[in-house]
Amino acid sequence: MVHRQSLTRVWAIVCFVSLLGVAPVLAQGNKGKTPPKKPEPPVHIPERKVKLTPINSASRPKALASASKVDELMEANYKKFNVTPNPTASDEQFLRRVYLDLVGTIPTQKQVRQFTLNTDSEKRSKLIDVLLSQEGYSSNFYNYWADILRLKDNQLTNNVPGRPYCEWVKECLETNKPYDEFVYEMLTAEGKVWDNPAAGYILRDSGMPLDAMNNTVRVFLGTQIGCAQCHNHPFDRWTQKEFYEMAAFTFGTATRRGGADKKFGGGNVVNKLRDEMKKVDDKFDGGGKYNRFLIGNLFEVYDNGAKLVLPHDYQYDDGKPKQQVAAKAIFGPPATIEKGVSPRITFAKWLTSPQNPRFAKTIANRLWKRSFGVGLIEPVDDMKDESKPENPELMDFLTSEMVRLKFDLKEYLRIVCNTKAYQRDSTHAEVNASDEYHFPGPLLRRMTAEQVWDSFITLAVTKPDEYQKEPARVEAKLLNIDLTKATAQVIYDHSKELSSPEIKKSRDARNKPYSYKGLLLVRASELPNPQPPGHFLRQFGQSDREAIEVSSEDGSVPQVLQMFNGPITHMLLEPESLMYKTVTAEKSSEAKVEVIFQSILARRPTPPERQAALAEIKAHGDAGYGNVIWALVNTREFLFVQ
Amino acid sequence: MFPNLKSVDPMSRRSLLEHAARTMLGVTVLPGAMAFAADTAKDAKDARKAQAKAKKDAASDGSSSAGGTAKHVIFLYMSGAMTHLDTFDLKPGRETQGDTKGISTKVAGMQFGETLPELAKLAGELAVIRSLHTETGDHEGGRYLLRTSYKEIASIRHPGMGAWALKVLGRQNRTLPDNILIGGEARHPGAGFLEPAFTPVPIGDPNAGLQNTVTPKYLTDASFEKRLELIDKFDAGFRKKYPQKQVEAYSEFYRQANQLVHSEELKAFDLNQEKAEVRDKYGRDQFGQGCLLARRLVEHNVRFIEISLGGWDMHVDIYQTDKLPKVAGTLDRAASVLISDLKEKGLLKNTLVVLATEFGRTPRINQNGGRDHHPGAFSGFMAGGGIKGGRFYGASDKDGFSAEEDDVTIGDFNATIGHALGLPLTKEFFSKSGRPFKVAHDGKPIMALFS
Repeated sequence: MVHRQSLTRVWAIVCFVSLLGVAPVLAQGNKGKTPPKKPEPPVHIPERKVKLTPINSASRPKALASASKVDELMEANYKKFNVTPNPTASDEQFLRRVYLDLVGTIPTQKQVRQFTLNTDSEKRSKLIDVLLSQEGYSSNFYNYWADILRLKDNQLTNNVPGRPYCEWVKECLETNKPYDEFVYEMLTAEGKVWDNPAAGYILRDSGMPLDAMNNTVRVFLGTQIGCAQCHNHPFDRWTQKEFYEMAAFTFGTATRRGGADKKFGGGNVVNKLRDEMKKVDDKFDGGGKYNRFLIGNLFEVYDNGAKLVLPHDYQYDDGKPKQQVAAKAIFGPPATIEKGVSPRITFAKWLTSPQNPRFAKTIANRLWKRSFGVGLIEPVDDMKDESKPENPELMDFLTSEMVRLKFDLKEYLRIVCNTKAYQRDSTHAEVNASDEYHFPGPLLRRMTAEQVWDSFITLAVTKPDEYQKEPARVEAKLLNIDLTKATAQVIYDHSKELSSPEIKKSRDARNKPYSYKGLLLVRASELPNPQPPGHFLRQFGQSDREAIEVSSEDGSVPQVLQMFNGPITHMLLEPESLMYKTVTAEKSSEAKVEVIFQSILARRPTPPERQAALAEIKAHGDAGYGNVIWALVNTREFLFVQ
Repeated sequence: MFPNLKSVDPMSRRSLLEHAARTMLGVTVLPGAMAFAADTAKDAKDARKAQAKAKKDAASDGSSSAGGTAKHVIFLYMSGAMTHLDTFDLKPGRETQGDTKGISTKVAGMQFGETLPELAKLAGELAVIRSLHTETGDHEGGRYLLRTSYKEIASIRHPGMGAWALKVLGRQNRTLPDNILIGGEARHPGAGFLEPAFTPVPIGDPNAGLQNTVTPKYLTDASFEKRLELIDKFDAGFRKKYPQKQVEAYSEFYRQANQLVHSEELKAFDLNQEKAEVRDKYGRDQFGQGCLLARRLVEHNVRFIEISLGGWDMHVDIYQTDKLPKVAGTLDRAASVLISDLKEKGLLKNTLVVLATEFGRTPRINQNGGRDHHPGAFSGFMAGGGIKGGRFYGASDKDGFSAEEDDVTIGDFNATIGHALGLPLTKEFFSKSGRPFKVAHDGKPIMALFS
């Protein structure tokens, strides 16, 4: 754990006098001079109970058998295309890759040493099981889904916070909720986000019923029907009529009550309460101050049965302008709406059904891409009838496995990571986006923004998964107001409590031990997300969460400046950092160099690298270690996943 | 390898550093980047030559080369799709105008929405285009098309206009990045298939400027150089193993970063150099300060600056005080101060200010009191850079559904920017895979705006 006080105290000395090695002596000398502080009374820091569902070790043989089947299908494909697969990746390469892919960070030096010294012939598959059972898994895949689902902590829609929904997504990953259930719950949720956080999915697109359908089909069925919203799709077979027929399933789902809704018992409840607020709060001018109570609580998902009609300028022969549209599924088994069943339920059942031709396939392909850098079908969210997977037999097998596993994503990833194909050396040569890739091994990929950040945290902090952000319930119990009976006084009290010194103290106490130079040194998934534009994460390409999957792995000048001069890089040279401690625990300079390489690149130095590092240390003394660390995190090898 | 750098004068120190950056970090393997690493005089000469050549190419297009005088572009991107009916394309007396009232502008017969009083005073500078239209009603597709003139496809990435300008005209500023993106846009097509050197440099928060440009004080330049050398040693094996564009792209970023750190011109990014009143005038929000930063960058001869203003995706309660009035108010204040400032400083004739958005919004107010996506008709404007203002160009139909008169595609719109800059519009440029592309995808510049 990095402690702010000790960090800042030592910082100046380390910065201006010297780097690694010398500082501890100086720091010690300094410690004695600080007058002892009176201990403050303990502050209550509310926590969320994390329930992790570990992988079942008994099912490993089954997973390994499936992995072999995948390899068989791949071997056949190599033959077909006359491709020589890459050789098996070294232990070091595999280790770093599987850590980044499954738990979102590089391994620690200790983990590298343990793994490389381990002579167990099953160590790779055992490690996969260990990683899939760790907290890092949910942290890593939270970042993945946050990019796809556009998760925002602060505002989901007009005055509705996103936190409860974001937390729910994280919990689904922690408990490894089957994917079909996860999606079904989002599509069928009712109520306010505090009472039913899965409702956040529909609330995210509040007021945009047509776009919402477009997004749902794109994300979960890998199909783009958006163009057909305004006219027949120019590049696919979808007609505007078909788009409307799909949208008709969910058009009767409302996301917001009017202030005058009869539920609130006559008159406009918002106006009424706003007037009353002026009596309770004499500084209130009738503006937006209490909107997160008054407006935020109007938002709930419920069915109002609204009927969708074709647009007024509908131009095709298969319908008339303003004609009512009946819901109809675009492909797969028909989704028949039974009496008394909401069309939305029918739609959710159809979409998440194993019989849906694209539901299992889309997620199987997505996770394949996540592991190999490219999907069997590309783009993963724009399948067409004529889209041919690179290896159709493999795609079919993976899809059937997804169904057999009942959409257990951990089990699925376990199969993928246990294949020989995944455990091969990554492809060295350039692969153009327009070339068909036959998977001789995974592609070289730059780490995602979150992986870069989390890797730095791993290098700096001893217990990186320890910190937890404030549970959603802390704010929820104050923000969630029943407008049918709420009084102005209750709203006033809740508003006051939200900005009370107790809450602030609790937040400060939560963050202080993890703060360094204005940065919170915790996992990306536990930071407020998305981060503001100037933050390290955004510089490295974290999505702004405004659109689906817009995170970026491109380099830029600010990234390089951040690595050259930013606080995150220099934090590693602080005496409190894990990096520093790891180095100073070793005696000989050879051993120190070795642990530096293992920490940052998960491998030992080559002879020329060792020589260069030792020469640096010889020339600059202890500061030389700092130079080596700085240089290594600035290599491309650090930023890329091999 | 290097003598004590502290004892040499700043000029030769810089060239030493540049030399160091060139020979290290693999910069030499990027042929496109070499021209930029050369000395100032050569930069300027190259830029002049490139400009002359571009003019010649443009002239052989048949498009007149007399129109554009723009050396800089400030591209104001209204993210989320700006409503046309409440801003620049009012429909007085029609239901589709919604709650918005029109106000007269400085130009007789030109009306803007009431939320744009300051821009209304500057109408004499603005050529407002009201007949833009596209086919795509999804944000990402629209953004991509707006910036590149091409539809987004999986197999290639097309360059944005800033990257095109740098590719054709060469580098205009000797040390500062010449293509800047201000604001929180997470995904931008960037340089597309062109050299990574043309990728816009993102500035997340204009108040913070370009961050991390100060070398930590405990490092002497000499040991900084040593560290660069070390990176190179440790990275050599990896780079040899993976001869890929995504890996080599970093060489250019390293080089530019190193050059920037040692640049005297960095203060262009520092808004604290401006008086507090000036900063207030632009508005203390991100967009306002972004516009101020853009003005400073133009003063420092930077070529292309894009700034985004979000919040236009008003599906619900469009007239609520924190929606249209707020967002349009932010735009009105900052854009009007920017244009008057540029004019006052004599920079407007060389600076093209563009306002654009990905599509318009539905003429009919929806059941939630908002407007939805509508690609059939929308508006934008251009000012400065040889554009004659004080007029509308094109028109939508009586309810603002479709472009009706002098319709303008995104290609035409970008071709107009290209023409203002003197870019060749019919010349083919080839991607690495050998496919031909043009600056504005065969769009025709709106020549009428230049006369």
